[in-house]
Amino acid sequence: MFFDLNVPIKKTQQRANASKKGKQPQQEIPASWTPSEISDLESRIDLLIHLGYSVIGLSQTVHKKVDPKTHVNVLDSLLGRLQTRPGIVFLKRLNIVLDSESEKGFGLINANVALFNGYDLIALVPTTHNTLSLACLTHSMPTPLTAHIISLPLTLPRLPYHLKHTLIRTALKNGAVFEINYVGALGGENDPVLVDANVAESGASAKRNWWASTRELVRVTKGKGLIVSGGVIAEADLRSPRDIGNIISLLGLSQDAAHDALTKTPKSLIIRAETRKTYRAVLSEPKVVFPPHMEPMGLPTPQDTTEVNTLKRAREDNSLTVLPPSTSAAKKKKRKPNKEVA
Amino acid sequence: MVRFKNRWLLVEFIPVLQGHAQLGKSTFGNGSLLDGKAIWASLKQSVLTNFGDTGWGAVGLSLTVKYFSPTTNICIIRVARDQHNVAWGALTLLSIIDGVRYIPNVVHVSGTIKHAQLSAISHNREVIARYRALAKNSDYDDIYDTYLDNSEREIESLQD
Repeated sequence: MFFDLNVPIKKTQQRANASKKGKQPQQEIPASWTPSEISDLESRIDLLIHLGYSVIGLSQTVHKKVDPKTHVNVLDSLLGRLQTRPGIVFLKRLNIVLDSESEKGFGLINANVALFNGYDLIALVPTTHNTLSLACLTHSMPTPLTAHIISLPLTLPRLPYHLKHTLIRTALKNGAVFEINYVGALGGENDPVLVDANVAESGASAKRNWWASTRELVRVTKGKGLIVSGGVIAEADLRSPRDIGNIISLLGLSQDAAHDALTKTPKSLIIRAETRKTYRAVLSEPKVVFPPHMEPMGLPTPQDTTEVNTLKRAREDNSLTVLPPSTSAAKKKKRKPNKEVA
Repeated sequence: MVRFKNRWLLVEFIPVLQGHAQLGKSTFGNGSLLDGKAIWASLKQSVLTNFGDTGWGAVGLSLTVKYFSPTTNICIIRVARDQHNVAWGALTLLSIIDGVRYIPNVVHVSGTIKHAQLSAISHNREVIARYRALAKNSDYDDIYDTYLDNSEREIESLQD
């Protein structure tokens, strides 16, 4: 089972309400998809399946901050239009590009939880040292807003910050994952939103930067907590997962670590991302189970609890004259094994 | 004792025309423009640009293109085992051959020619099945059957 968790979808939105009054609630304009866009996407998905991927994450990129008033989840309407394929899983992902303006806040707050529940995965692309610490420390804590993927801009000429070992280790311990987009190795086109935000480059120099930065990332993370994904815009840059595994192992990663980065790590990441919907990453909903001799309806009344809990005291304290039949039966049961043993 | 160990890479080249990959489109009639020598030349170029002269030195003597089928775009390449990662990496980073963009898809890697042959034959079968499904026309059966037989014979006759 191979995962491609970053298939960028680009959709420009037209706003019916072009007024500058930000406080007016924007109408939700559902994204409209033309048939040619849908068929493009279908052929790309066919190609991905042919190459061997079975879990595909469609991703939408937002620059600087998420504004709940104007943000439209373009992926919801898209998933409904795609052909159903048995055995293939589609996931929705949001990439938020963080730069110095986002240091104060970029919309990943409790008030906007409803907006983020529409996405299965959230990723952050930090470009400054402060945003990197924000991403690694604050946003990897288990909450309904955890951004589980940290995607570094690997094609920039110089990684904007020094990768500090302690930061990275905290993020990994909290369960976050670092992402490598392999489109940089081929010098292919990057997502236009990323290019506009000066976060990604294309071309020959991008390749050199990619090799240098990715090698550094692999060194700092020691091969753990890495996932590899596409980020590919042009179909011609797609590659099969085993090819990518080979490229990653050329970076100094051992072969089994490279294989893990393609299979095991993304799998556990997706399951962990589902915990956003639970309370503080507790995976299952706890269910209260009442012992059979308590009241089945609702919580036990205070009288019963005192009777049952004070079983020992009942034996010691003989002043209790009225005992409910269940406790005496329990007492009898307790005495029996002693006699039998003796 | 001191045997030369090899890796046999089974690669499929998927052509990409005008931004769309041509999966399953049959090139039976006109034949594709690729051939073994062109693949070897572009692979050599890719190794030189990505891994330099040292990379080519490690891989170059043992790199040979053993088989190529223009219909299904299947290629069998033999490399020495110690440095096959370099050759495989260069193959993945390859994107243009003779001005046409391709996606190289490594289907199978094996240490003996036997398994490479078996894998090539089963891959051919799958590709032909895909063509037939797309064509939805029973006229093509004859051509594909003879093609399958011929290609099986060619593949079986590959020598180390």
